[in-house]
Amino acid sequence: MIAVADLLQGNRLPGNYFAPDAYLQGDFESGLLENRRGARLVALPETLLQAIYAGLEKETGQASRIVLFNCGRWWGKNFYRRFVEEVSAYYDRPLAEMAMAEFLQCMKQCWKTHGWGVFELDVSHYQNGFLVVELSHSAFAAAAPKENSSPACDVEAGLLSAFFSQLTGRELHCVQTACESLGSDRNYFILGLRERVEPAAAWLEEGHDHATILDRLCSSTPAGRN
Amino acid sequence: MHPDLESLFYKAEENYLQAVEMKLFKHHINSLAQRLQTYEVLRDQEIDIFQPVADRLVEAFAQESTPLLEQALKQWIAILRYAAMAMLLNNPEFLQRRLLEWLTDLVEVQQRQSIEAKLAQLLQDRLREVLTEEQRNLIAPFIDQAQHTLLGATALYA
Repeated sequence: MIAVADLLQGNRLPGNYFAPDAYLQGDFESGLLENRRGARLVALPETLLQAIYAGLEKETGQASRIVLFNCGRWWGKNFYRRFVEEVSAYYDRPLAEMAMAEFLQCMKQCWKTHGWGVFELDVSHYQNGFLVVELSHSAFAAAAPKENSSPACDVEAGLLSAFFSQLTGRELHCVQTACESLGSDRNYFILGLRERVEPAAAWLEEGHDHATILDRLCSSTPAGRN
Repeated sequence: MHPDLESLFYKAEENYLQAVEMKLFKHHINSLAQRLQTYEVLRDQEIDIFQPVADRLVEAFAQESTPLLEQALKQWIAILRYAAMAMLLNNPEFLQRRLLEWLTDLVEVQQRQSIEAKLAQLLQDRLREVLTEEQRNLIAPFIDQAQHTLLGATALYA
């Protein structure tokens, strides 16, 4: 026998925390964008993103990708803290107690509502020690310089590495292996321990595609050794 | 804002509403009163609506674990709550964005479609017992929307 009255103790039935109409609040008078907890949001116009790419390239040259990756790391550290705080408070339980499907759904909705594109996590290579993130409609890829010959989503790569490092409690590196700015249908990122995932960058430079790189990484790291 | 009324408010910026528009406005106001009344019935009788649904569900899935059934039941209690608000606002998008988008992947992963389908059917049956036909016509499109989104078109029934 299930007592419905007991099920409804507390009376809260949370839904989609990141529903765009509930999550994003704008104030015309002050010109401020805030989320539903009152934290300030910043809008990044395409022109600004293009200027960041161009300015960094001019100022730092080849180091611009590292700079962007490190910016992403900072962003990821703060993003993780805010994400955990907000999601745990709304669903009234720690992130660690959430089902994987619920966590993933939060990430997808969060990504979409912030206008960062569509997020998918592939955990089928977890046994080999790798996580694969697929992002599409990335604003960073769209604003990347057209003459780019390497993946352009270094900010997102840094963000993902910091986010999943804190989530898993292990220091993870992230390599982008396909990019919308280079004609791919989506952006692929491989996450894993630095020494295991780093060869991906060299294989990418040799011109191998995402599937080949992932295969090579997995065959060099037998399942269970993560 | 109620989308139907909103369009009339915009119209009123240009000129006085004409007879046909006034008729439409009155229709929406009357409909809003009915929606409010239906909302109150659903709110006040939430436990009465769902207890028989829960009992019949346990009977139908005696072999399933109680936590699993409780989880599915809670999900449909939430669906009715969000559907009731969507009905009040006459805005299917509210239900879609605030709940269904969130639940769709979860239902797929949890692989309990047969329980969900049974629950939806039991809830529809129960609403037939509790609501008048007029009230049921107001909430039914939103329950159908939930069924359609979560279980696919094949799960819809008359």
